[in-house]
Amino acid sequence: MAFPISRQKALREWKLYFLIIPSLLLVCTFSYFPAASAIYHSFFDWAGGETKQLIGLDNFKRAFGDDVLWGSFKTVSILIVFNLFKMIPSIIMAVLIHRVKSDRWQYLYRVMLVVPMIVPSLVTLFIWKFFFDPNMGVLNNILDFTGIKSLLVSLDQTFGWGLFFENAPIGWLSQPDLILPSLFIWGFPWIGAVGVLIYLAGLQSIGQEIYEAAELDGVGPFKKFLYIELPLIVTQVRLSLVLLVIGTLQGYGLQLLLLGESGGAGGRGMVPGLWMYNKAFVAGEFGYACAVGMILFVFILLLTFLNNKYVRVDK
Amino acid sequence: MSTAPKEFVGSHKQKDWPKHIVIWAFIIIELFPLYMMFQVSFKDNASFLRNPWLPTPPFSVVETRQAADGTETAKTRVADWSEAFSSAKPSDPSVKSVEKSFDLSVYKVKNWNFGLKLIGPYIANTVFVAVTGTFFTLVLAILGAYFFARYKMPFSGVLWSAFLVLMLMPGVANIVPLFSLLKEMSLLNTLWALIIVGVAGGQVFNIFVLRNFIEDLPKDLFEAAEMDGASHLDQIRNVVIPMSGSIIGTLSILAFLGKWNDFLLSLIILRDKELFTLGVGLIYLDGEYVKQWGQMMAAYFIASIPLIIIFLFCMRLFVRGLSAGAVKG
Repeated sequence: MAFPISRQKALREWKLYFLIIPSLLLVCTFSYFPAASAIYHSFFDWAGGETKQLIGLDNFKRAFGDDVLWGSFKTVSILIVFNLFKMIPSIIMAVLIHRVKSDRWQYLYRVMLVVPMIVPSLVTLFIWKFFFDPNMGVLNNILDFTGIKSLLVSLDQTFGWGLFFENAPIGWLSQPDLILPSLFIWGFPWIGAVGVLIYLAGLQSIGQEIYEAAELDGVGPFKKFLYIELPLIVTQVRLSLVLLVIGTLQGYGLQLLLLGESGGAGGRGMVPGLWMYNKAFVAGEFGYACAVGMILFVFILLLTFLNNKYVRVDK
Repeated sequence: MSTAPKEFVGSHKQKDWPKHIVIWAFIIIELFPLYMMFQVSFKDNASFLRNPWLPTPPFSVVETRQAADGTETAKTRVADWSEAFSSAKPSDPSVKSVEKSFDLSVYKVKNWNFGLKLIGPYIANTVFVAVTGTFFTLVLAILGAYFFARYKMPFSGVLWSAFLVLMLMPGVANIVPLFSLLKEMSLLNTLWALIIVGVAGGQVFNIFVLRNFIEDLPKDLFEAAEMDGASHLDQIRNVVIPMSGSIIGTLSILAFLGKWNDFLLSLIILRDKELFTLGVGLIYLDGEYVKQWGQMMAAYFIASIPLIIIFLFCMRLFVRGLSAGAVKG
């Protein structure tokens, strides 16, 4: 902890305050002021310029009747479920690497995991966009190559989805009903290097003797995971779960790049953040965008609160 | 991380190789985009369509076709892998002769020249923003963290909670007012706007981590320095910075990565093509061109090179810092 300090000493050390002033000034200008301004402007009809008109709660009333907005909340909840599922491979990977006996291999695997991080995330996004391309794209090529496409086509004929056809390439990002599946496939095999490294750090604290004891009791590999490994990384899993949910709820970069500013065909990929972006920078309705941002903000704050109350992350 | 000497983790009875296979399967899929990016960057669209998966073999083929009316047309194309090692007669009857020759020009190095020309200026801008931003973020954060860690000054509790609250506050609602704020400060369409906003955004996290670190430093060091009449800035320069090199390194890498990957803010702020950072630049290219994927992939690869360099030199720092930070926090 920092030294407690007497009042006289503090007076003599007044120069210390100069150290915090730059950070404080920046934070006030670029974090607190915009936040306050967002609250303020959500009550205005404002196009971003000098003129604005106080309209009270009209923006919020409009938002509550806004089908696109509520549809986008539905989409984002589906995406959150997807992302929860996508946490699983990282956990499996961490446990597998941890159980590998040789230290040298363990280190090699860690390095191999970090290698994909040299690609900027934006570039990864564009590569995936290329994978989804109907004619040149890798995904369709793989499906053709492995024969999964004909399986999909026959499934389509049985169930009448109207999505996959024999002679036409699959339009992953152009068919409304395929947009959510595309967002699910995105990032396969869903291994986050940072996540795996964090889990591995947690696993490292398992002592040798615990495994030996488990062995004597004849505990199988799956039970070992359930009773030995999972409890040790549960803190890290919770933490990344919380960050993931909040991140998904407010993120819209992925949708903006893959699908465009109106959320792709039929607006199926529209998420609340993207709707706010769209309203502000495409439609020019800054006041309404602020109101949408406020609603999203309340949701996230609620989640943070629930998290602090119920899903305590023990330190 | 200390890796204690151990003979094994897990079971005596269990074989290791199934784990290795699963891990390799994951890793191969994980590295697949990287491989595709590299290999496609040497192709044009035609040779990509002909052979999407493997690198092109170093042969070109002159195919002479005879049409029904007797006219001959010669066409040069890249060889398939099946043709590279055998010289089987073409099965297509209209093909009269196939001449194979060793040819390195099937590798479109021009893609890389083109990619570099396309993306070079954006990279220069991004390096400027990321380096300047990271530097100021860390300098200000060290000063701030020192303030919180050294003494419990009056009001420092209040200030600390003012910083911490921002960690919980989602940034998403801020972007619209931020835009109009920057407009009023006439910082729109400047790289400095990106730097300043980035530095401001990085303060909370970095101060948080650094404060914990500085508080753990031995107090005697500070007291000894104070005895010698060192001012606070001297203490930061001579005690804090040398003692916390590794954490500063890790935080710098994280900050640099964050700024390198950022595109939302620059998408909103930047209008002039000359000022584009990598983020906006790539988005712009994505919309602009009839896609020669080879050129795009070369450009993507070039965009990764600075990060490759960083990782080559700092990988240990990065892997270790990340794990250590995870255990602590």
